[in-house]
Amino acid sequence: MKLSLNWIAEFVDLTGETSERIAELLSLHTAEVESVDAFGEGIAGVLVGHVVECGRHPDAEKLSVTWVDYGGAEPVQVVCGAPNVARGQKIAFAPVGTTLPGGLKLKKAKLRGQVSAGMICSERELELSDEHKGILELDPAAPIGALVVDFLQLRDSVLEIDNKSLTHRPDLWGHYGFARELAAILGRELRPLLVLEAWPPGEAGVPVDLEDPDCPLYLGLRVDLGGAPAASPQSIRRRLLAVGQRPVNDVVDLTNYVLHELGQPTHAFDFDKLRGPRIVVRSAAEQEPLRTLDDVERRLDPRDLVIADAGGPVALAGIMGGAESEVGAGTGSLFLESAAFAAARVRRSSTRLGLRSEASARFEKSLDPALAETALRRFAYLLAAVRPQARICGAPASAGAARTPHIRLALEPARAAAILGLPLDRGQVVAPLRALGFGVDDDGGSALQVEVPSWRATKDVTTEIDLVEEVGRMHGYDRIQARPFVAPVVAPWRNPVRELGRRLVDRLAFAHGGHETQGYTFLDSRWIARLGLPESAFARIDNPVQDGVDCVRRDPVPSLLEQAAGNVREHERGMLFELGKGYEPGAVALPEERIWLAAALWRRTGGPADGADSVFGACRVLVEDIARACAFEATAASGAEHSQAPWAHPARAATWSAQGRPIGFSGAVDPRLVEALDAPRTEIGVVLLDLAVLAEIGGGARSAFRSPARLPAIKVDVALALPVAVPYARVEAGLRAAGGKILESLDLFDRFQGGALGAGVRSLAFHAVLRAADRTLTDKDERKFLQRAEQLAEELGGALRK
Amino acid sequence: MRERLEELRRQGLAALATAGDEAALRALEVRLLGRNGELTAVLRGLGAMSAEERPAAGKTANEVKKELAAALEERRQALRGAALEQEFSGAGFDATLPGPPLPRGTLHPVTRLQRELEDHFSAMGFLIPDGPEVEWEANNFDALNIPDDHPARDAQDTIWVTPPGDGVDPGLGVCLRTHTSPMQIRALRRFGVPLRCVVPGRVFRNETQDATHEHTFHQMEGLVVDRGIGVPHMLHAMHSLLELVFGRELETRLRPGFFPFVEPGFELDARCPFCTAGCRVCKGSRWIELMPGGMVHPNVLRACAVDPDEYSGFAFGLGLSRIVMLRYGIADIRWMLSGDLRFLGQFHA
Repeated sequence: MKLSLNWIAEFVDLTGETSERIAELLSLHTAEVESVDAFGEGIAGVLVGHVVECGRHPDAEKLSVTWVDYGGAEPVQVVCGAPNVARGQKIAFAPVGTTLPGGLKLKKAKLRGQVSAGMICSERELELSDEHKGILELDPAAPIGALVVDFLQLRDSVLEIDNKSLTHRPDLWGHYGFARELAAILGRELRPLLVLEAWPPGEAGVPVDLEDPDCPLYLGLRVDLGGAPAASPQSIRRRLLAVGQRPVNDVVDLTNYVLHELGQPTHAFDFDKLRGPRIVVRSAAEQEPLRTLDDVERRLDPRDLVIADAGGPVALAGIMGGAESEVGAGTGSLFLESAAFAAARVRRSSTRLGLRSEASARFEKSLDPALAETALRRFAYLLAAVRPQARICGAPASAGAARTPHIRLALEPARAAAILGLPLDRGQVVAPLRALGFGVDDDGGSALQVEVPSWRATKDVTTEIDLVEEVGRMHGYDRIQARPFVAPVVAPWRNPVRELGRRLVDRLAFAHGGHETQGYTFLDSRWIARLGLPESAFARIDNPVQDGVDCVRRDPVPSLLEQAAGNVREHERGMLFELGKGYEPGAVALPEERIWLAAALWRRTGGPADGADSVFGACRVLVEDIARACAFEATAASGAEHSQAPWAHPARAATWSAQGRPIGFSGAVDPRLVEALDAPRTEIGVVLLDLAVLAEIGGGARSAFRSPARLPAIKVDVALALPVAVPYARVEAGLRAAGGKILESLDLFDRFQGGALGAGVRSLAFHAVLRAADRTLTDKDERKFLQRAEQLAEELGGALRK
Repeated sequence: MRERLEELRRQGLAALATAGDEAALRALEVRLLGRNGELTAVLRGLGAMSAEERPAAGKTANEVKKELAAALEERRQALRGAALEQEFSGAGFDATLPGPPLPRGTLHPVTRLQRELEDHFSAMGFLIPDGPEVEWEANNFDALNIPDDHPARDAQDTIWVTPPGDGVDPGLGVCLRTHTSPMQIRALRRFGVPLRCVVPGRVFRNETQDATHEHTFHQMEGLVVDRGIGVPHMLHAMHSLLELVFGRELETRLRPGFFPFVEPGFELDARCPFCTAGCRVCKGSRWIELMPGGMVHPNVLRACAVDPDEYSGFAFGLGLSRIVMLRYGIADIRWMLSGDLRFLGQFHA
């Protein structure tokens, strides 16, 4: 919202305060000031000129050649295209070198062969209105060479207020409210608003029916304009211009003036266009049509509140008037509405219709209903000055009553001082409240009795703490000194899932070289389809930020795959991982949340499919290492039936469990999908682990310790040549059984096939360490182990290699 | 025999004297003195000698053996000395060659800041609960004193979750949380009072993305509820946080701010740490708006069955993503969730 300081100065003396200081005071005490602008500065180069000669352009019918005296040494020749330019006029002249608000910098030019040294400006060129039919004619008394901005008294300081900081303050949606604040802050007098005190005799003669409780009060003033609407005087126009409201005509300008001054919207109907005699405020009928002032044909429904005449709706209550009854050049008589509407009704209707206006922005804040009548009285007062020929047709038509809540609150000064941490005595609590218009009764008891004024009582100030805020902000929060709070020293509850997550994230980054990433929670439904996932498995977004990006992720894998693919061009191999949340729609509306530790790693194709150098093996190692970090062993089940996710490789996939509970997945991604991701010649592997389950199984577990054996070990290498179909795990298990208790460790160190082995045979070679805790092993133990290994090899259809 | 031993000694000593390195020495050792070496062969011949000749020949053989062994050792020492001399001279040594490759993983910059803050507040006895990103409308708004028709809902462009279809109880509205503040409700209901906690997390707004706007970003909420809590305590917590984040004390100012779940509500501004005379970050004002906060609204306490006449509290929020951007000088917020290694790979500290 824009605030004109000249306007505010009509109600409170701002002498001695710079606009920057006022902006700072408001920021510190009332609401956030976003900027301070010097209004009028944009046309500061434009001077009052006198058209001393004016004749036809010899070669252009619509142009005139004039000589303009603007206080320089000699008049200059200026070509002008306006039809209304004439000799003797005082005009707004932009000499060569001036930059106009639109950014146009004037240069000496030739127009159809005639020199033109400057420009005679229209209102639009000066950004004073949309008027561009002709040039702006100034008062004949305007002094030649004076700055137009000064002659029209346009200079003003305009503060831009952050509307969000006014959400709770219905009283601050007009200048008078801010004047009240500044008067209290500066300790100066707030001048009363001048209004028409007594309505002239007579009556409006328009019966009003309130059929809906969402309009508790409706007033309608009838005004005979005594002629067509005309331009407003400068005193009105400059105020509106400063706050960014383009002047239209005196009737519309005055309603806008009252809006910006008091915050109370009013609406002027062309009385003669209303189909009388009665005004009804009611809910709209289903599909009832109304063409609003923005020239949009709208279909309403019973959720909308309308003002209707005998022919149907003429305005959308509190939001916008109808086009049919709009005030125009032919209007001779007004019906000026000023009413109270329920904030929630206006807000819902305007949100649903997508129609926001200056009026709805104010009504939805819960305006003081007492303002409805004040606005009409202020309008009438201003009208008398602006349009003396106009006649108010008696007291306004009226229905309902201004029901302002009557709020009386108890405030303990000691409590206010304690919460704010300011050393305030009783008087220092009372004074700022009174300055803001609160009534304060102090009977000497522990609490003050505070009467909330009507303009703060609709929503804003309802409890004691609201009064504490008033006292605090008036004294200035700036004065509050920081102080640590005192609390018993107790160890806080520790979050086991968060703590484990942190440990595992470190492990993935610093032991495995992964890069922690973050992926979006929303997924494109087309992407979901390409992954082969059913949309029904996802919670959906009603109003997605981007069209189609409306699935809530179940786990981070889809976004990790996209991110991995995006990195392939720059990085041949790498690992991204995310500790992130996923959601599964469940039996209640709130989807079930899971926290996943997920990783995607990639490298160029061409490596082995399995084993230590494969993508699959790298994923496997990640899971095993994470399990070790949680001090448990995880076991994998692999093969086609364990490739559950549609994006997983049909064969190279494994599901993991520990202590009988599933913990997650590892494996390669379907190569067809990787290709579709535009990641050529790349293999991607994925690990997906349920962090909460990891925390439950092993979050607090520690490694077991056994005293290291002191007796010597025997190191044996054993190699088995076996059919390739025999899985490694079967061999390892067999060798472990063969070693029995004395087998301390067993590590695969070599694997090859082909060559001398013959087709279909592969060799697996192990380092085995044999050791017993209670005796020194002998050759006999070694031989026994090797015999058993040989037996195993034969059982598996192969042989021990010697 | 004697001749053979003499010959062996002569040749052996000559060969040892010219052996150029340890490998050559080792080969000579095996050839001369090894189990199948020349000297052994000679010694084997002793058996064929007469008893009279044998002692003298044996003695000579032993002398040759000792002599050769001594020469070998001497040569070995000499070579080792020379090698060390060469090594110590540093010639041919390139200290600038790289070492073995190490894992070079990184943490997301938000994680780094978040951890610093978590540790800071944990040390002061704050607990760090975790809450859902997909949240009940009731927790995100209603319990926070933002009823359905409240204009403050406009300030937070909410992303709504479609009510589930048949067979599922639609219950109340569900949205992606627009702030971490619903955790005030969850934490108070779960842990009761007195309570002090911080909650970092992801929040969502329906905003079109550009360099400074993101629909997904991170915040951290702080909440303290106890007897006798006032504004000075809030201010102290905020100051300690800013000092941690910026590494020094910054001048601050506290001014009014409106958030329906606090009363009074505040905005804390800090003197722009990046300039002395106005810059892009502070838009020339020399102040940057850093932390909203306030005293917990009595209605919020009531919604969590806490008696506002007995307890009071403060809450504050911090935009983690924004602070990360300020700290590292990241101009475009869209990097944060880009997953681009050119971005992520830079955050080693």
